Amino acid sequence: MFYLVAEIRALIAIIGADLCCKSDHSGRMGKSTTSDAQALIRSLCAAYSATPTNLKIIDLYVIFAVFTAVVQVHVLFFNVYRYLHGNSWDISLQLFPLRSAFLCRTAVLAVCLRIQVNKENKEFKDRPPERAFADFVLCNMVLHLVITNFLG
Amino acid sequence: MRKSWKTDSLDISGDWKRAFPSAASSQSPGLSVSPLKSPSSPPRPRSSDLALRAAMARLRTLPLALLFLLLLGVPALFSVALGFSADSPTDRRLLVLVDDLAIRSSHSIYFRSLESRGYELHFRLADDPKLALQRYGQYLYDGLLLFSPSTKKFGGSVDLAAVLDFVDSGHDLILAADASASDLIRDIATECGDPAALVIDHIGHAISQSDVDHTLIAGDEFIKSDVILGPEKIKAPVLFRGVGHSLNPTNSMVLKVLCASPSAYSANPKTKLSNPPSLTGSAISLVSVVQARNNARIVISGSLDLFSDKFFKSDVQKSKSSTKHEKSGNEQFATEISKWAVNVRHHKVGETVEPAMYRIKDDLEYAVEIYEWSGTSWKSYIADDVQVQFYMMSPYVLKTMSNDQKGLYSTSFKVPDAYGVFQFKVEYQRLGYTTLSLSKQIPVRPFRHNEYERFIPAAYPYYGASFSTMIGFFIFTIVYLYNK
Repeated sequence: MFYLVAEIRALIAIIGADLCCKSDHSGRMGKSTTSDAQALIRSLCAAYSATPTNLKIIDLYVIFAVFTAVVQVHVLFFNVYRYLHGNSWDISLQLFPLRSAFLCRTAVLAVCLRIQVNKENKEFKDRPPERAFADFVLCNMVLHLVITNFLG
Repeated sequence: MRKSWKTDSLDISGDWKRAFPSAASSQSPGLSVSPLKSPSSPPRPRSSDLALRAAMARLRTLPLALLFLLLLGVPALFSVALGFSADSPTDRRLLVLVDDLAIRSSHSIYFRSLESRGYELHFRLADDPKLALQRYGQYLYDGLLLFSPSTKKFGGSVDLAAVLDFVDSGHDLILAADASASDLIRDIATECGDPAALVIDHIGHAISQSDVDHTLIAGDEFIKSDVILGPEKIKAPVLFRGVGHSLNPTNSMVLKVLCASPSAYSANPKTKLSNPPSLTGSAISLVSVVQARNNARIVISGSLDLFSDKFFKSDVQKSKSSTKHEKSGNEQFATEISKWAVNVRHHKVGETVEPAMYRIKDDLEYAVEIYEWSGTSWKSYIADDVQVQFYMMSPYVLKTMSNDQKGLYSTSFKVPDAYGVFQFKVEYQRLGYTTLSLSKQIPVRPFRHNEYERFIPAAYPYYGASFSTMIGFFIFTIVYLYNK
């Protein structure tokens, strides 16, 4: 759960930063809420289309990882449901939330990579994107090694 | 994982025999609570009896409950002879305590019937100074017949506590009282049950030339138990003259074998009745039996005359009834001694050896053989209500066992998904039979680390997620590196 929260907070921070940088505050007062929302989405798409391709790829990967984690949480709830309704509980299932957390972690790693390779982020401008990618790959290797160890 | 285990079989036998004199003619009705043995009973393996004793030892508390009082009139004979013993049913010694050795002749039919069943009777005066129930810590007798209602104090080392200890140790007691019952006798009965003991006078249900008080009653409100009174219906009423007693309703171990008719009441026939009698109708128990948790059996009769030759031989006619019975009902009281022997087995389905331990979720089979001592031989006991429990603090499994019509009860079930020290328990209590209480301890262990399923279907989404994430990572890496 900690990882999930951290990840969501990171995503919000990144998207928020993008919006702040790219949007031109074009909404007008007095318009209907619907047209406001349309304008907002349109400006969001426009702003996001200006995002570099490599960052879009990372975003795609983050979405994939989060989706996978969400599916697993649902499976976990399904198992809890079965347990509460009288089916037997396999104790090894209790390890799976942990595994879900591991999977979320790959999303967190991807977000970290995104922060470092984003050219508009001045904080890491002295760190080359190749170094950031290498870190990302190394951390993922360790992560998947651990996950594999828990299988079966 | 299969493993072979050593076989360990437990043979437990409990017995209780109930003996009712069966011959129509000369049987004297008697309640014998004691280990009456039958002459022809085959000796049982002693080890099994010891095993039962051990099993019973825990259930030591002996809430004896009972009591008596009541005078009634009308000739009826009633005999209940219950014998229980965990030992070999042969060569049992009974101590008969009497006020007067004349009882030996006046109740000779009853005593003879006991002897004919193989009991060795030792007659003593109740105040014999050399009286002793035990010597060097060993009980000298297997049962005690107290036919001495007016005794104020026993002789020798016998006293109230000694008698109760005797019963507490699993021996049997037959107690007969009458209107002259002393405080001592009442105390013993009270220890076994309800303290209220009143003389009762029964009206309207007895016809006798000499009885003007209607204190001689013909009782025919028998307990409905084939086991205690025998499979044949008792045809004639039982004659009773003595005190009635009431039973403590909270004591479930006491049974009224013969209770008074609805028109009976408890009072002194010589005095005028100023208050309503405190004991009336069928609340009055004339003859009761107690089976303690240690299977000691006690018969309490409010009438000593009930066992007498005179009552045994007299004819019976109930008032307002035109039928006259040639003989009082004692003949029908013949029942047999039944005894139980038990052999317990359990094993995993598909195996025959008995493991020392089970694992959760094992399938196992449990079987027990139950025999009944019929008085002459061991017969298989047939019933459809014998249940086994798989017990740890509370029953996790309670199953009715099926039997093969040869006394072998068996069932199979899956060990529950809980580990700990379980017991196979058979608690079988049926009216008139020795309580069957078997328990066998068996540990149940959890899965070993390599006994879990390696991959379980419920976890496939997790496996899939793990691999899809790895594949996704691989594809992402390639796309990211080559997208420029």
